[in-house]
Amino acid sequence: MSRRTYAAVGAIALLVAAALISASLIGARGGQPARAEQLSKDDSSILLRGIPQSGPILGLPDAPVTLVEFADPQCPYCAQWSQQAFPELVRDYVRPGKVRIVFAGLAFIGPDSDEALRFVLAAGRQGKLWPVVDLLYKNQGAENSGWVSDGLLREVGDAVPGLDVERALRENHSPPVERELAAARDLQARLGVRSTPAFAASGAGGTLAPVQITSLDAGGIRPALDTLLAR
Amino acid sequence: MSDRRLRLAVGVLSTAGAAVAGYLVYARYTDTTLACVTGGCETVQRSDYAVLAGVPVAVLGLVAYLVLLATAFSTSELARLVGAVVAVSGALFAAYLLYAQIVVIDAVCQWCVTSDVLIALLAVTCVLRLRSG
Repeated sequence: MSRRTYAAVGAIALLVAAALISASLIGARGGQPARAEQLSKDDSSILLRGIPQSGPILGLPDAPVTLVEFADPQCPYCAQWSQQAFPELVRDYVRPGKVRIVFAGLAFIGPDSDEALRFVLAAGRQGKLWPVVDLLYKNQGAENSGWVSDGLLREVGDAVPGLDVERALRENHSPPVERELAAARDLQARLGVRSTPAFAASGAGGTLAPVQITSLDAGGIRPALDTLLAR
Repeated sequence: MSDRRLRLAVGVLSTAGAAVAGYLVYARYTDTTLACVTGGCETVQRSDYAVLAGVPVAVLGLVAYLVLLATAFSTSELARLVGAVVAVSGALFAAYLLYAQIVVIDAVCQWCVTSDVLIALLAVTCVLRLRSG
């Protein structure tokens, strides 16, 4: 083939690649959002101030609607949901006593998920599960790279007011934590949950049923909650 | 190298690439956790870089590999030209995605790297096919 053919092939390939890269850069909007957060940025303790926290449950025990969140501390979409949807749901549904949220932790992704999850559940025994899981999301590292070190857990724990970090580290393999892990796995199997984040909800006196979210912001789950509240 | 051998190489490489991309597409649409020894597959696959204008990059890759596979069955000049354009643009885009994995996302997906190697080899092979015509 002629030199002109080579030049044409090269030029077209360059144009195609440039178009693909431009589209990707526009879509990426600067890349991964969660990693750069500071460990000390504990916004959720402020967000959750005054709301009852008991083990994995956030909200009033007699709230008419129960929302179960299946999440893996290493899951980037869970972190996204936690940042985009969770604060709004707390403000509009949990704080007014309409909904209580139950954290069902799953270690889908690997060993770092398990380590993080145990610490989260142990913190839950001190009523501090939600601020801890929020800080872990904000500091997610590369999957199973060993990012969930004792050092990181201590730093996260130290940033949560009122959490006894040493006690949480001691209790992360305790029978109550094992029971929480097993309960979440049982519920996952019963509801057929295969990915995270996933949700299930029930109205007053009803049974838990899977809820499909349409987006990772609060709008993606509002219709389901409003339907249950209207019953 | 004869065009027959080069076509065989394109066929083998694009089949392997289609298998890798097909696995990523399958995992994406069935919510299956990827087998991963590099530890960053889910992070990469769930990053903003895994989707292009609403289409998963794995789907684009699968389509590209299938087009390249189709070109391996033809000796026409058009097939050689299309193969070279698809493979070279694919390799350039793959280089950008590899940069994104290492520098921006800070996580590496073994399946993506495998695909990067395959598309780079395909680019070389398809350019050599142009010479053989």
